[in-house]
Amino acid sequence: MNELFPLLSFLVFPGGIFVLASGLVYEWTDRKLVARMQNRIGPRWFQPLADVVKLLAKEEVVPAGVNRSMFLAFPVVALAAALTAALYVPMAGFSPSFSFRGDLIVTVYLLSLLTLCIGLAGANTADRFSIIGATRTLTQLFSYEAPFLLALLGPAIVAGTWQISEIAGYAHNHWLILTQPIGFVVAIIGLMGKLELPPFDAPEAETEIVSGALTEYSGRGLALFRIGKDAELVIGLTLVAAFYLGGLSNPLEFLLKTGGLLLVVAGLQSLFARLRIDQVVGLWWRVGALLALLQLLVLVVLQGMGI
Amino acid sequence: MDMKLTHPWEEAVDEIRRWARINSPWAIHFNSGSCNGCDIEILATITPRYDLERFGIKLQGSPRHADVMICTGPVTRQARERLVRIYEQMPDPKFVVAVGSCAISGGAFRGCYNVEGGIDQVIPVNMYVPGCPPRPEAIIYGVVQLLQSLKPESQKG
Repeated sequence: MNELFPLLSFLVFPGGIFVLASGLVYEWTDRKLVARMQNRIGPRWFQPLADVVKLLAKEEVVPAGVNRSMFLAFPVVALAAALTAALYVPMAGFSPSFSFRGDLIVTVYLLSLLTLCIGLAGANTADRFSIIGATRTLTQLFSYEAPFLLALLGPAIVAGTWQISEIAGYAHNHWLILTQPIGFVVAIIGLMGKLELPPFDAPEAETEIVSGALTEYSGRGLALFRIGKDAELVIGLTLVAAFYLGGLSNPLEFLLKTGGLLLVVAGLQSLFARLRIDQVVGLWWRVGALLALLQLLVLVVLQGMGI
Repeated sequence: MDMKLTHPWEEAVDEIRRWARINSPWAIHFNSGSCNGCDIEILATITPRYDLERFGIKLQGSPRHADVMICTGPVTRQARERLVRIYEQMPDPKFVVAVGSCAISGGAFRGCYNVEGGIDQVIPVNMYVPGCPPRPEAIIYGVVQLLQSLKPESQKG
């Protein structure tokens, strides 16, 4: 039975099917909310599923001038990384299936592997739009990654541990959004940068560079990248909700808190227009990183004083 | 597409594939020499007022992501190469909708020295939407009719 448990947790419950299904549901919720805020009716409930199935059934064109095996491997690696990250976060309010000291760093690394794969996949193709998109994706990765990590370190320092389950357990008794509001804002905006949602969608700006790094991907590769991004949306929302919104102790709490966060994210998406890539970098390094560092400093000093 | 499916599970998979294809057509818009009248109507079609996301239709930038190519205008000799190239860049299965009188027959530009004729002179067309320019409702109707024609009952005749 002990051998079966890791396989099951990877394929069915916290990873695998559960993350894929909830990713599709969350993508639909996000699109529907944005549509309603734009005074539209919006997509039907099965829309993300139909998109993914259609893409999986389509022909996959491997364009000339690419390294074929890398072209085919990147989507798989990206999805695998996103699914693995699901094992270390408290999905649906249950305790994480795997946990060790310092798994916060591993999870953040696994989450950024998807973006890295998108960037490398774009750089792999000979298409000029893909290469510009890849440059922007990787530039954005380097700009939001540090503030996002700093924002997640705040709860870690207060809890005195780098283990996600213990931080979530500590956050269960403390609503850290009240004591660390800056960290919460930086984390939620960092999540939007990670997912390339509208104010930060310069890497896939369809009005300038077609579809960014994924321009040459069709069929299966595109479908896998899309599911990977959906999975990352769920995992990111779970992580932020568990750290800042008083922890997740049961599925109902999980649904309410991540749903509330999704509402905020959808609102921000429809409020703001797209930022240029230099504005994104400037925003993150001048404002985001400095504010997060300031808060970290305050936390460290307060903790040093023994409060 | 006269392939015979032998196993029931193959038919089931085919059914799922067809369902997904009908419910998620991503479109790409190409202007092969139009006067921009039809293009403005197509842009009006994707505004929140008509909301094509109800049918799962999304306007994509890349031909690699698209299933339906919405073409406007007569094919000029200069645009011919590009039209064929973009059509060939789209992954199978792919469909073409010709929007406007010019895209159907060449319209007002028929017989010009620099015009090849309608879209169907160059690439196969699945659905024609007449009008000069057609209203957004007509374009939506055309695309929905194209999707209806994918259903098996309408393919039998």
